[in-house]
Amino acid sequence: MRHVVERTNDESRPLTEPVLLILMSLADKPRHGYALLRDIEALSQGRVRLSTGTLYGALRRLLEERWIERFVQEDTSREKQSYRLTMAGRWQLELELDRMRQLTRAGMARLRASEA
Amino acid sequence: MTRIYQFLLTLYPRKYRELFASEMIQVFQEAAGERRDHGRGAYAGFVLREMLGLMMGAAGAWLGRDPVRPAAPTGVPSCPPEIVEAQRRVDASIAGMVHAIAHHDFQKARFYSIAERKLREKLRRLKELHGISD
Repeated sequence: MRHVVERTNDESRPLTEPVLLILMSLADKPRHGYALLRDIEALSQGRVRLSTGTLYGALRRLLEERWIERFVQEDTSREKQSYRLTMAGRWQLELELDRMRQLTRAGMARLRASEA
Repeated sequence: MTRIYQFLLTLYPRKYRELFASEMIQVFQEAAGERRDHGRGAYAGFVLREMLGLMMGAAGAWLGRDPVRPAAPTGVPSCPPEIVEAQRRVDASIAGMVHAIAHHDFQKARFYSIAERKLREKLRRLKELHGISD
């Protein structure tokens, strides 16, 4: 009987922190690049400050995966490219948050068991 | 500083530059303006981070490095691709069901629920075939 330690496909691996934060930032409303940088800093309580190189590297891949869409936001004074989550992106975010929730639950249970 | 930034952007593949360069410059300028207001130290840190980020970003764009998920850990036993795919479909159907319930679309949720049961059974049979335990 062979035991699989871990699924090794892409889906089973956690998202990188920048990607998770980008998806989280876009979960409530579309944002343009600078707004994403600021919101990610706020979401992470100042811990994560993405460079534009990191941000756009992640955005490019998310566009390729069709987890986000790019569009021109009309209600700004300057024409700005903005990004919004697609349905697929929202599902991926839900999957990742669910994975984290399960891990947190399991970890907390172990901690409580060791304290008992 | 924008000139150095523009120069470093030439390190990226042409298609990447066509798609993002002007937007990246705009965002860099906005962020630089804000950081300048936080003093010299904050601005210097920002510039350093930006330059390093661009160089690493350019290297990643050429090498096809995936920023979405970290590299797979080495030394982990591999899983047959058909099982990987079957598991992915089960996960997708669960995600679909959760999403449908969240949006009160119970007809769709039922559809995903039936699909998930069938896919899970298929996954179980595949695992059995390969002698893999859960």
